[in-house]
Amino acid sequence: MNPDNIKTAPIGVFGLGNVLMGDDSLGPTVVAHLLAGYEFSDAVVVEDLGTPGLDLHPHLAGRQKLILVDVVKSEGDPGELKLYGKDEILRHAPGVRVSPHDPGVKEALLALQFAGDDPGEILLVGVIPGKIGHALGMTDALRAAVPAAEAAVLEELARWGHAAVPREPRGEPDLWWEKPGGTDG
Amino acid sequence: MSKRIVVDPITRIEGHLRIDVEIDGGKVTKAWSSGQMWRGIENILIGRDPREAWLFTQRFCGVCTTVHAIASVRAVENAVGVEIPLNAQLIRNLIVSAHAMHDHIVHFFHLSALDWVDVVSALDADPKATAKLAQSLSPWPRNSIQELTAVKDRLAGFVARGQLGPFANGYWGHEAMKLPPEVNLLGVHHYLQALDYQRKANQVVAILGGKTPNIQNLAVGGVANAINLDNQSTINMNTLFNIKNLLDEMTAFVKDVYLTDVCAIGAMYPEWLGYGAGVVNYLAVPDLPTDVAGTQFDLPGGTIMDGDLSTYKAITNFEDKYFADNIVEGISHSWYEGDKELHPYEGETIPQYTEFQDDGKYSWIKSPRFQDRVMQVGPLAQVLVGAVSGHEPTARWLKFATDLAGSVAGIPIKTEMLHSTLGRHLARAVRTAVICEKAQEHWKLLVDNIASGDTDTFNEPVFSGLQMGYGFHEAPRGTLSHFVVIENGKIKNYQAVVPSTWNAGPRDAKNRPGPYEASLVGNPIADPERPLEVLRTIHSFDPCIACAVHALDVEGNELGSVRTL
Repeated sequence: MNPDNIKTAPIGVFGLGNVLMGDDSLGPTVVAHLLAGYEFSDAVVVEDLGTPGLDLHPHLAGRQKLILVDVVKSEGDPGELKLYGKDEILRHAPGVRVSPHDPGVKEALLALQFAGDDPGEILLVGVIPGKIGHALGMTDALRAAVPAAEAAVLEELARWGHAAVPREPRGEPDLWWEKPGGTDG
Repeated sequence: MSKRIVVDPITRIEGHLRIDVEIDGGKVTKAWSSGQMWRGIENILIGRDPREAWLFTQRFCGVCTTVHAIASVRAVENAVGVEIPLNAQLIRNLIVSAHAMHDHIVHFFHLSALDWVDVVSALDADPKATAKLAQSLSPWPRNSIQELTAVKDRLAGFVARGQLGPFANGYWGHEAMKLPPEVNLLGVHHYLQALDYQRKANQVVAILGGKTPNIQNLAVGGVANAINLDNQSTINMNTLFNIKNLLDEMTAFVKDVYLTDVCAIGAMYPEWLGYGAGVVNYLAVPDLPTDVAGTQFDLPGGTIMDGDLSTYKAITNFEDKYFADNIVEGISHSWYEGDKELHPYEGETIPQYTEFQDDGKYSWIKSPRFQDRVMQVGPLAQVLVGAVSGHEPTARWLKFATDLAGSVAGIPIKTEMLHSTLGRHLARAVRTAVICEKAQEHWKLLVDNIASGDTDTFNEPVFSGLQMGYGFHEAPRGTLSHFVVIENGKIKNYQAVVPSTWNAGPRDAKNRPGPYEASLVGNPIADPERPLEVLRTIHSFDPCIACAVHALDVEGNELGSVRTL
């Protein structure tokens, strides 16, 4: 996709998380699977954004609709899928601090809301993590959750009238951080 | 009687930093800075191909991605002794310059302005008087009465609905807030404009780096960008002119809005030129190399000791032993085994967690020392080194800033007053103005070099036997260095000494506090329940602990970040 389209595509699908931190790589992993398995319309940009904190907002500004994929802190078992809408994401204001459990999504969205430039509809596809710590690759529970998270993204895109088209044959997801090489890998 | 306040954590962006202060008689008497994140992340690199190290290092931190990528390729290039084509140096320089503009603008307007600007007070502002004030400060065209009225109305609408949106976590109404309503309104207005302009800087990074965050165009030995002025899919005239337009817009915003606002707002808090000096030994490394071997630089580096500019000693190039031979990292107060001070080539990271011990171990951050001294890094170091070394653009923009702030404050602002909380903000804005100017120059150098027929962007690195090297980058938050040991083409050891390690590190073996800790002592605390002054001084360093743990907390509402004991 050309850079102009990345800026202007009305729908953004973004994976959030740090690929060096075990289960925190859920967002980037789901994005890699989506990119390997599907063709998306020109209206949709699909990207792994890492953990940019407040620097998220250039990527969110001006989108009409937004899907975020990330691990979430919630009651439940590792691997459990949790879906949230815009109101739920913004219900609790961030505190004086931004905790390490808050990658700046709320603050970025609130800043955009104040600027009148926030996405109209948001879906957060969340998965409860098992273990977050220095590690390349996720726990089994989180690996098992990838198809459900992927499906949640695809369903929403279809509902918005921009269904993704499966690639035949399906490509291999580029999980470069999991490839062997290091003593950990 | 003394009282203890724990602010946990203090960064507005990712990272987990805990600050403890003891206060007595309304002033901080003792402080502790504690990073709550194990630094073993480099171990992931051991055994890997050094050519791919940068892909991993730029994931160390989600905010400082670019800087860790640059430092990593420079470290490996230094180890193997490969030179970089001029085009590659210049493309990298444009990327790091744009990244720095972006980072500094976000830091001031979105991460620290709320320490000084009282958003609610802006509702009492007269837009006409605000426009008049703004026009007296700078020629920025977007400070009209109409625009300021619209912003005030928007803010009033938010407040009427009981929301403060992005400002909900500010200490509005605090007695240490002193700006007149008009300046507060101008601050809110520029907060919104800064959202647009930081995006433009980000676009420069994305155009050259392929994407951002996490640029894709680096390679050990150069960059992966192809240059062909007649090809639509490579760097061509169209790409270059897009970049030029974005740089022009950024340059105007930085001078007429960012630098102007820091001077004007700062001038209304002149007492903060007297707080927050802390450690006055400074370290900065040179950056923006202009030749293939990395011997000529457009931004100077060096050290200043004891706040005495006459002690300036230059760091001149990527091979300079004065830099590499004088660094050790101590762990006497850090949660690692032992208390040895080691050079980063020998650095160890064996965790040994205890509880928080005031006089013992209390941080995951190590304590780097330079010639056995505690050093402050960051924009203040960059600007002082620039001024004393005769770097013309730094001296010129520093004079512009101190003249403007001095005229608003009605007092002359001397160089020695920059050793302070406010001095760090002023220096950061000065540095950003310098970088804008240098980015323009490097754009021209790149265009001229391409026009001369040079389209090279990559030289193949050669690996053999034992190779050791280091790479540094003068990042937005200060001196960043990566040290790598390579054996037969595989990484044997890797250590990253990051800016926030220098500034946020704990006490050392001689019990000397780190820069954050030292800078807090003597700060006034008006209200221990709302320790705004602690935030002012800590935020002036732009803390970002190279930490990346996070999980979105949608349901929770953890507000208990300030505890008074």
